[in-house]
Amino acid sequence: MVDITLDGLTRSFGGMTAVNNISETFPEGSVTCLLGPSGCGKTTLMRMIAGLETPSRGRILFGGRDVTALTPRQRNVAMVFQYPVMYRTLTVEENIALPLGRDRGLSAADRQRRVEEVLDVLQLRKLRRGRMAELDIGTRQRVAVGRSIARRCDVILFDEPTTNVEVHAKLELIRAFKQFRQQLRQTIIYVTHDQTEAMTLADQIALMQAGVISQCAPPRALYEKPDSEFGGWFLGNPGMNFISGRVVGTGMQFDILPEPISMPDAGADIRLGIRPERIRVALPGTPGTLPARIERRFITIGGQYLLTLRIGATVLRARVDGALGRILGNEAGIDCPMQHLAFFRNGTVMARPPSP
Amino acid sequence: MRLASKASSPPRRRQSFTEFLGRREVMPFLLLVPVLIFFIIWNTIPTLWLLGLSFYRFSLTSGRPPIFAGFYNFDSILNDSAVWLGLSRTFLFVILAVGIETVLGLLLGLLFWGSQKLPGRRVALTLLFTPMVLTPVASGTFWRLIYDPTFGILGSIFRGLGLPSLNFLGDAHLAFGAVLLVDIWMWTPFMVLMTLAALASVPKAELEAAEIDQLSWWQRLRLVILYHGKFILMLGILLRTIDAFKTMDLIYDMTFGGPGSTTEVIAITLYRRAFEDFTMGWSSALAVILLLISIAFTATFIFVLHSRDRKQASLAEEGA
Repeated sequence: MVDITLDGLTRSFGGMTAVNNISETFPEGSVTCLLGPSGCGKTTLMRMIAGLETPSRGRILFGGRDVTALTPRQRNVAMVFQYPVMYRTLTVEENIALPLGRDRGLSAADRQRRVEEVLDVLQLRKLRRGRMAELDIGTRQRVAVGRSIARRCDVILFDEPTTNVEVHAKLELIRAFKQFRQQLRQTIIYVTHDQTEAMTLADQIALMQAGVISQCAPPRALYEKPDSEFGGWFLGNPGMNFISGRVVGTGMQFDILPEPISMPDAGADIRLGIRPERIRVALPGTPGTLPARIERRFITIGGQYLLTLRIGATVLRARVDGALGRILGNEAGIDCPMQHLAFFRNGTVMARPPSP
Repeated sequence: MRLASKASSPPRRRQSFTEFLGRREVMPFLLLVPVLIFFIIWNTIPTLWLLGLSFYRFSLTSGRPPIFAGFYNFDSILNDSAVWLGLSRTFLFVILAVGIETVLGLLLGLLFWGSQKLPGRRVALTLLFTPMVLTPVASGTFWRLIYDPTFGILGSIFRGLGLPSLNFLGDAHLAFGAVLLVDIWMWTPFMVLMTLAALASVPKAELEAAEIDQLSWWQRLRLVILYHGKFILMLGILLRTIDAFKTMDLIYDMTFGGPGSTTEVIAITLYRRAFEDFTMGWSSALAVILLLISIAFTATFIFVLHSRDRKQASLAEEGA
């Protein structure tokens, strides 16, 4: 097992910098999801780790060993691509066994044992003699995953493996992923733009934006305590509410709070953030709440209501359960608990939460 | 009832001539007419003429009119050991030329493809393609001079090295090989081109995966490159086969089929019998036989292409 260290890693294509001076360590045996919108550089970053892309600057270290100049072949990594890559003239079993043939230290019996294990974990036993051309895309991707885990490389890379797979096959892949994770603790980098997938699979999420990792933290921490407005906005559906305030004396007044908060370095560039599900919504007139107007409401898949609320000039979204959502009219009372507030200055979280 | 239907239909107007030409049923045929005329004059009529002539005994030098002879010419050809020898020589030529060109083309193609960042690659590629764009007669003359034992550059190199000067085109043991070499020189670039086209059809991700999966050179070639590129390569091989079977001018220009008949491929036999001996009936019959052989090659070629279509169709169904 190895950890992966990136040291000032940069990749430019002409005038465009896809990955900009990233320094980060992904601990050994962990799953790191590179999460971010399209074009944020996550795939480029992963391709550099694989050796398929040459960095313009910086180094990549596997367990302290500098691999920057090595070819993918020499790095001994496995990778699952966005489209299932397979050797079409071979059977499922032969596909999984193919890279094992290169491992000279492996006896034929060991090789067979590994293939059997993989066939079990990925539930491919029945299809072992099947030709790749006969399989649907989800099963093909499972075979590709099988081929990458059978080798037991130190590092496995996943490049959006579920993007082109239909939803049931996707769940099946995720189940298989979790199962083999329990057995083999390899260092895994998983590129995705699907936040649910990242939240489910990752030990830590490296949130990427415009070629840099804006925050790298465990999923819960990243969700609860985003470093930046981008993190708050990108994660969650809908993302965090951001509310501007007014400077009042030595503090700031926000529409959603009953009284001003004292803030020695108050300024118009400060915004307050709160997740929609953290806003306490109650019937209008409930003590300890502020009156708000309900402008729109949607029922979500889970039967919850998503409300668009207005207090003064501030518009914000809140999530309430179905029972309350059904009885609310055009008015509601809301309360934004202090412990769930985050404050951002120019898009970056402020180090110490201001006292009320 | 009848009256009502008559009243509801619009009054029939006479169609103008240009309207008639523009109709969906007419226009496509109209567009085909020039090609069809050309095809009929230059292809269909001569072929039918040839077919007709092959059933006659007819020699231009005899001064006698053609005499209908049924299958006499075909019978004579099938019992002519020179024809069989010429055909087997031609097949040997085709197998060796196309085989060597394919292997060399594949290797050179892989070399060029793998050296995309090397400077001078484009120049080298352009130079490599030069032989292919020269006319066979020019190449033939050019190589005849190279091979010339007295004035040729090969001869002088041999002499410079203190080796006996060889008469490549005049020696019965060397001439076939020497001619074969020129064909290989001329047409290997074509197979390089086909290899490069085949390589371009290989998905990049699969090549990257092969690299990451640490496949050997041979596994990569067999499982990835040939899997995706085989149809284009097959197309190249078939085109070359049909073309090599017809080779005449290149060889005729260098050796006239000699010495003896060691380089006399079947197309040269045909040319000689037709335009040196003027046995038109017999030559027509031989031409018909060669045409049938060419059609067999073409049919194979079309079958291979269609099998790809069928495969793609079944894949498309699968995808849906």
